[in-house]
Amino acid sequence: MSRMLDISNLTVYYGYVNALSDVSIHVDEGEIITLIGSNGAGKTTTLMAVSGLVEKAGGTVSYRGQDITKMHADRIVKLGIAHVPEGRKIFPQLTVYENLVAGTFGKPGITKQQIADLADQCYELFPRLKERMTQAGGSLSGGEQQMLAIARGLMMDPQLIMLDEPSLGLAPIVVEEIFELIGRIRDAGKTVLLIEQNASVALQIADRGYVLETGRVSLTGTGSELLSNPEVKRAYLGV
Amino acid sequence: MEYVLNQLINGICQGAIYALMAIGYSTIVGVVGMVTFTYGEIMMIGAYGAFYIFLSCGNNILLGLLMSFGCSFVLCIAVYKLCYERFFNAPRHISLLCTIGFSMLIKNLAQIVFGPETKSMLNIIPNRIFTLHLGSVAVDFRLLQIVIMLLVVFLALMLTFFFNRTRAGIALRAVSQNKDAAYLVGINVRRTALLGNCIGCGFGGIAGCLLAIYYINFQSYTFGSFSMKAFSASVLGGLVDLRMSALGGLCLGIIENLGITVSSATFRDVFAFGFLILMLIIRPQGFAVKKGTRV
Repeated sequence: MSRMLDISNLTVYYGYVNALSDVSIHVDEGEIITLIGSNGAGKTTTLMAVSGLVEKAGGTVSYRGQDITKMHADRIVKLGIAHVPEGRKIFPQLTVYENLVAGTFGKPGITKQQIADLADQCYELFPRLKERMTQAGGSLSGGEQQMLAIARGLMMDPQLIMLDEPSLGLAPIVVEEIFELIGRIRDAGKTVLLIEQNASVALQIADRGYVLETGRVSLTGTGSELLSNPEVKRAYLGV
Repeated sequence: MEYVLNQLINGICQGAIYALMAIGYSTIVGVVGMVTFTYGEIMMIGAYGAFYIFLSCGNNILLGLLMSFGCSFVLCIAVYKLCYERFFNAPRHISLLCTIGFSMLIKNLAQIVFGPETKSMLNIIPNRIFTLHLGSVAVDFRLLQIVIMLLVVFLALMLTFFFNRTRAGIALRAVSQNKDAAYLVGINVRRTALLGNCIGCGFGGIAGCLLAIYYINFQSYTFGSFSMKAFSASVLGGLVDLRMSALGGLCLGIIENLGITVSSATFRDVFAFGFLILMLIIRPQGFAVKKGTRV
């Protein structure tokens, strides 16, 4: 298994507030990695730092051996890292299909045929989206919007997909559906970096997990190790 | 009756130019995310560009329009670099004030460079009149009016095609809807915003050229009030909705011209802005119905 993403000693400040300090995380190819932690622990900031949306005060991020610490957000996407942001952030007034097309902007040379093929793959994963192809993205329900956001991420045919709280605000049954899908995305040969509040479900499907606490990695281990860790149980699983 | 019908034709024609201005304005507001006050000067440069082409190369309308598009496009790059790009992460009013200052600078520079006198654009399009007889009523169409209307429709269709069918167009719309998400799908937001801004300004330049041809003459400061019309039309359409902004422009043109049939031509602006205020009291969001917003 080769090293895919390597974050070492990452430090981020928001003004004077220290959001991340000395965070080191690595992701290997084909893994599902999850970051858990309470609100404000720095999970989202970590992902934003990887995709170049926040300025880093220190540390390095490298992707397949290439240093991407100072790279622009749009160039990072072109390397094959898809970021499905928290709160979906789909384009509300583009149609579902146009949203999917927007997902391919990271690949400038893509042909129409390739777009159609990728869209077909997405429709296979999310039959609901096919029914709503011509509808405006913003008119979908919350769960459908989340599916659209993930599908848009998959449209760029990424090697690594980073999902930021995909279960946020969704009904339990839809959450199950989404997690089942994350498994399928991994089976399709992609690497997944997942942020979740819903620690128990996330740790069940994850190969490894990191626990973030106030901007630091406090614990790390395989999914089952963390699930049985008494501290994690107390703080995040409520047992 | 005849007079009213002819004024209606005038109104539609003028409304078509307003619509073109509003389309350009809305494009800019959409991609940049804030209103601009340099639009009048953008139109002015378009008019000057066309004027000097007509002066040097004869009355070649196509060349003139291309030149006005080009001039505005280039000026717009300067506006973007000076007023927007440097203040991308600063509070929004800084860019806004910067556009006001830049507008004054350009307006006065134009007076120095091109001179303060009135420039005239005579007979760019031959002054031919077609009369349509509807029973006892005769309606006059000038060739100029027909050309302007067709041109505006053509440009609007081109822009619609560009926005809805091409990848660059979808990228532009994506940027105008959510900049962060646009970064995340790999769009170079700054370059795309610059392109959108320049296309919008190019349309403004063409509108400026058409205005100068329609009114036969222009001065460097005539375009200030027209930029307010563009802004009003765009507000009527909800600021970022191109189709509704065009409708807003058309309405303004028609209302102005019908208004002055019952009063005097000095009240032109009263009717336009009165309509704007009335409309905003009844429908604060303008004509636009936002699709895709769940309430």
